[in-house]
Amino acid sequence: MKNFIFLFISFLFFQVTFSQTSGLAGIINDGEFNDVLPFANIIVKDTQTGTTTDFDGKYSLDLEPGSYTIVYSFVGYQTKEITDVVIKNGEITNTDVTLNASAGQLDEVIITTTARQNTEAAVLSFQKNSVNLLDGLSIETIKKSGASDIASAVKNVPGVSIQGGKFVYVRGLGDRYTKSILNGVDVPGLDPDRNTLQLDIFPTQILENIIVIKAATADQPADFTGGVIDIVTKDIPTREEYSVSVGATYNSDFHFKNNYLVSEKSSTDFLGFDDGLRDNPLVSHQVVPLPQQNGEAASLITQRFEKNLAAQRESSFLNYNFSATAGNQYEIGEKKLGYLASVSYRNETTYYDEYIDGQIFRKDEADKSNFQLLADRTQNGEAGINNVLISALAGLTLKSEKSKYRFNVLHVQNGESQASIFRQSNFIISSNNIIKDNLIYTQRSITNALLNGKHTFGTESDWNVEWALSPTLARIEDKDFRVTPFRVSTDSETGEETYTIEPSESGVPSRFFRDLEEINLAGKLDIEKKHSLFSYDAKTKFGGGYTFKNRTFEVLKFSIPFLNFPSATLNGDPDQILDDENIYNPDTNSGFFIRQDSNDSDSYDSDISIASAYISEEFKITDWLNSIVGLRFEQFNLNYTGERQDGTAFNDTEIINTSDLFPSVNLIFDLNEDGDKKIRTSFARTTARPSFKEASLAEIFDPISSTTFIGNIDLQPTYINNFDLRFEKYGESGDFFALSGFYKSFKDPIELSFIRRAYGQYTPLNLGDASVFGGEIEVRKNLGFIGGLENLNFNVNLSIIESRQEYSEDEKEGRLDNLREGESLDDTRQLQGQSPYLINVGFNYEDNGWNGGIFYNSQGKTLQIVGAGDVADVFTLPFHNVKLNISKSLGEKKNSTISLKFDNLLDDDIESVYQSFGGQDQIYSKWNKGQDISLGYSIRF
Amino acid sequence: MKKFFLSQIAIIALSLFIVSCGSDDNDPIPVDDDPGMIDATLTGQITNDMTLTSDEIWTLDGRVTVVDGATLTIEAGTIVKALPGQEANASVLIIARGGKIQANGTSSAPIIFTSSTDNIALGQTVGTNLTENDRGLWGGLIVLGRAKASLSGDATENQIEGIPASDTNGLYGGSNDADNSGSLNYVSIRHGGTLIGEGNEINGLTLGGVGAGTVISNIEVVGNVDDGIEWFGGSVNSSNLLVWAQGDDGLDIDEAYSGTISNSLVIAGDISDHSLEIDGPAGSLEGMFTIDGLTLIGNSVTENGEYADLRDGAMGTLRNVYATGFKSSADVELDNNEVSQNFLDGKIVFQNWVLNGDDNTAFVEKGGCIANCDDMDSNNDVFEDLIILSPTFSERAATWTTTGTTGGANTNVFSWTFASAKGAF
Repeated sequence: MKNFIFLFISFLFFQVTFSQTSGLAGIINDGEFNDVLPFANIIVKDTQTGTTTDFDGKYSLDLEPGSYTIVYSFVGYQTKEITDVVIKNGEITNTDVTLNASAGQLDEVIITTTARQNTEAAVLSFQKNSVNLLDGLSIETIKKSGASDIASAVKNVPGVSIQGGKFVYVRGLGDRYTKSILNGVDVPGLDPDRNTLQLDIFPTQILENIIVIKAATADQPADFTGGVIDIVTKDIPTREEYSVSVGATYNSDFHFKNNYLVSEKSSTDFLGFDDGLRDNPLVSHQVVPLPQQNGEAASLITQRFEKNLAAQRESSFLNYNFSATAGNQYEIGEKKLGYLASVSYRNETTYYDEYIDGQIFRKDEADKSNFQLLADRTQNGEAGINNVLISALAGLTLKSEKSKYRFNVLHVQNGESQASIFRQSNFIISSNNIIKDNLIYTQRSITNALLNGKHTFGTESDWNVEWALSPTLARIEDKDFRVTPFRVSTDSETGEETYTIEPSESGVPSRFFRDLEEINLAGKLDIEKKHSLFSYDAKTKFGGGYTFKNRTFEVLKFSIPFLNFPSATLNGDPDQILDDENIYNPDTNSGFFIRQDSNDSDSYDSDISIASAYISEEFKITDWLNSIVGLRFEQFNLNYTGERQDGTAFNDTEIINTSDLFPSVNLIFDLNEDGDKKIRTSFARTTARPSFKEASLAEIFDPISSTTFIGNIDLQPTYINNFDLRFEKYGESGDFFALSGFYKSFKDPIELSFIRRAYGQYTPLNLGDASVFGGEIEVRKNLGFIGGLENLNFNVNLSIIESRQEYSEDEKEGRLDNLREGESLDDTRQLQGQSPYLINVGFNYEDNGWNGGIFYNSQGKTLQIVGAGDVADVFTLPFHNVKLNISKSLGEKKNSTISLKFDNLLDDDIESVYQSFGGQDQIYSKWNKGQDISLGYSIRF
Repeated sequence: MKKFFLSQIAIIALSLFIVSCGSDDNDPIPVDDDPGMIDATLTGQITNDMTLTSDEIWTLDGRVTVVDGATLTIEAGTIVKALPGQEANASVLIIARGGKIQANGTSSAPIIFTSSTDNIALGQTVGTNLTENDRGLWGGLIVLGRAKASLSGDATENQIEGIPASDTNGLYGGSNDADNSGSLNYVSIRHGGTLIGEGNEINGLTLGGVGAGTVISNIEVVGNVDDGIEWFGGSVNSSNLLVWAQGDDGLDIDEAYSGTISNSLVIAGDISDHSLEIDGPAGSLEGMFTIDGLTLIGNSVTENGEYADLRDGAMGTLRNVYATGFKSSADVELDNNEVSQNFLDGKIVFQNWVLNGDDNTAFVEKGGCIANCDDMDSNNDVFEDLIILSPTFSERAATWTTTGTTGGANTNVFSWTFASAKGAF
């Protein structure tokens, strides 16, 4: 901790040591293609002062303070003049420009506009010129929305929702249908149960922007349906640049509470990893005998384990964070060398004093006229969570006239520790009261390296080649996950409570270690050739890629049963269980001992390889129709190594081997000459593949929910046909309007289904066909048309989505058998995790260094858990979130900013309920995330 | 200064990559895990008829299933020792639907299923190193048949507890109440049981949808981690059963089991729960069991050792019952109004109960919790109004309850058991 404080002070200390010259910088975009324009000319009008854009379309120019007119030009393109470009002392003015081709026009056309410095406009311009149907989110927008991680930032994109604060759903389609990529290449997910990357571990500080692609082109991977989320990390700055920011968040429900819950901490917990305190104390092949087999060894082994099993009380601290970035570019002869380094640290503390989760309510099986749900299990308690997140990004870039090389390393380290005490009452399947102490520590890390090159060849720079090699290592460790249950019996006369450990009622104390390691090796090559077709400019793109993924997953389970020991004497104190006096003693043949409960079928090792090749052609037949037609080929292989419970083993056995063609067509109709009104249509075929865990023999018991996941080795990929239609209108001052419709049909979708004849067991199945259709509307409008409101911007986006999923046999029977009197069964139901609507509304004010915004976000009632038999469906209720952000830039150079944010102004609960025909809703889970007040300070120099 | 700044970043980045090994005292602990001499091993599926002879000790390794069409014959005096394992790894013998077991021991040469850690040798009926408190050392014996069971949503078959749904040999239930799964006679099942999750456990002897053509008699279950014997529906008659020191309930009846359990003995241990745990149908099919001749021996140490809990729509007859040695707080409980209504409707019948040291006040009616059940505070719970009024259930119990010291089962038939050898009764 000392190091950090020191570092922190040093950041503040040296801010004064830098100064900067004034000037102009920016990017020139190619209006013809969705690309930058290298070697374009920038000249200060009527002077000799000027420069050209580099390989990345970037330029920078030193200028004295004042007001200038700047001329942007390139052969074959319309020349653009921008007036009133103001350069302030010591400040770099950013101006991004898009030049359109002057095809067919002999005269030089000069377009004059005024300067607007807004990178949001740059993203919109990217969106406008893209052949893909996509939505972008610039870092500026993210900053305005006050989001600190990508998960909360990406919510502002139309049709995007976030599940559990981590996982992205695009157009209501779950993580199976959404692909997250980092700088264009595949990276491993960080949750053994999910297909996609969790986004809350990426801080916004490392971001250049986020692009959400909703319609496929041949150069995109085929395994997405809702969308591809491309996280683009920061590029090298054109000039010397340093920044530091610090912030703190106070939540009156969570912070400075003296009954906050923790488990014993290791000395490095504050750095996001465990120092070994929570390691398995046994070597990997240690034989763990029962006391009946070898009492001495059983006793010695038990003594090795950490004794802390109880959640302990202490006072909670507030959330704090800081980050720093540094970057510069140097001229080395003709070449430019740039570097960028960024670190960020976040420490968050959450405490719920009333946390309800995992309750079970059933329909009355005996009496179909009883509409009310019957409580089977109620569960509530307190939970304390501490989350530490560190990210470090370092990059080097070398640019020459015709080539650019980029090398990037990103490491994200995340440690989450959780301590909770839950009280559970069982009524139907069992009948008892149980109190549980749960101690959980999850350590996640992801290390990604990217080596990327871009080259231009040909006399007219008409060949572009881009390649990337990117290895990633991801690791998730659930370390010493401890659950200690006591049965609570209340004496009916005295009211006195007795705490006992009863294996058959409460279960025995258990602890487990899970280790997931995934290695991804991804490589790709894209080649682009500009040429002429039907006397218009056209572009052929072709290339291919290869991704190899290997995942190993291992579970080590232990429990702590006892022999000849009166458990009531512990008085319900979990920490006494492994007290020296209570550990198994061979002499008395009594006490608690460690038993190994691991199963070979819990662990697996899988490989996936995807080889791809594609070709596409972007061309025009007339002025107003831009077409891109492509075909992609992907070969997918999944090999599995694991053991079935009956002992049959798979050894690197090929489970899936598919080779498919994925055609795509995108047509863009320009409705006027400026290209600011467009209609886009697209068709593409895509796929969704089973995850490592799903296409497996794994049978994994979850002690928290008391459910067993059973893998399905026979799963097959899903194929989806996607149709999209969108009208777009781009206006002045970042105004934007879009209206979209889409339809998707799914063949053999995969969904998690409960196995009806086996209580609490579920498996992934290729279910009956499904379809999803919906519409989206997005409006971004400057309110300048109302007098005096030039500085106020309004944006709204709304998505309405309807999904229809057919039932599996088991599900249908189970539903029919449990219908209430007068209830009938629909032919289809909603897709799991699919929201019927999503809405974002925001107002943003910007003036003279002041920036303020108020934002509202919500989503409709969503099917969270598909009911099974007599257990009703669980729905997530809408969470209405209103956020308010205010910030002020200070100083002559406006290079420091103070910001104040308020979250969850409505103080809404996060709630899921069981719903059944005619009956009252019953709570599945409910908690309140409190109201956050955050204060931040950042400085650039 | 710039250098200093960069070096600070480097220090942080480096510290992230260094993960210390922590403790260095995790050397292996030497364990002699030689299992000793193994004569013959049973693993996997038994698809052809097979006989286990009494001249060698058989080892049960993992989940062993006698599948449809096969018969496993076990000679009198045979000892089967099961290897340790929990949950899915538990050693368990399943007689699947259509499979048969012919395990006919005698009082002098019973068939014994026990743990591989038991030092019992060929020719012996009792080992010396394990007691009734050594539980959960292996799985158990599961017999599945095609007789009717009252299943949730009126399904016709179900997956038995303790076996994951991926193994379809774990299915039970059907429509043939006369189904025959073979015969279990003079069989002792010791030190087994495993708990996978709530309501998902392996009992000493599990009988799922077992039909009346099957013989179940002279059975002993000792030191099981969960229930002693559990019936899931089915119609098989069961006689001369002894359960000792079970971790949960002694005899557990579910899903409208409709056979008769005669002359049985349940002896509670230090951590035993209810001696009788009786649930009702899970679907619309009703079925009433009969318990005739039953001795319950209580335990004063266990926290929750009740006589009996009738719950979830239970229905059946309990006659000629003798109970002794229970704590004064122990009760026979009608769990909620659904069960109480069955009593009023004549679907639950009590006849001739003799309680030693207790009287009709042991019979209690309880209302189910209907409000505030789901908060931490148990003091504010609101219960259903009781429905057996004037006279109350306790008062009515006087008609079938006497205080005394004799009655119940004839325990002389249990002289062959481990419990008898260890002086449990």
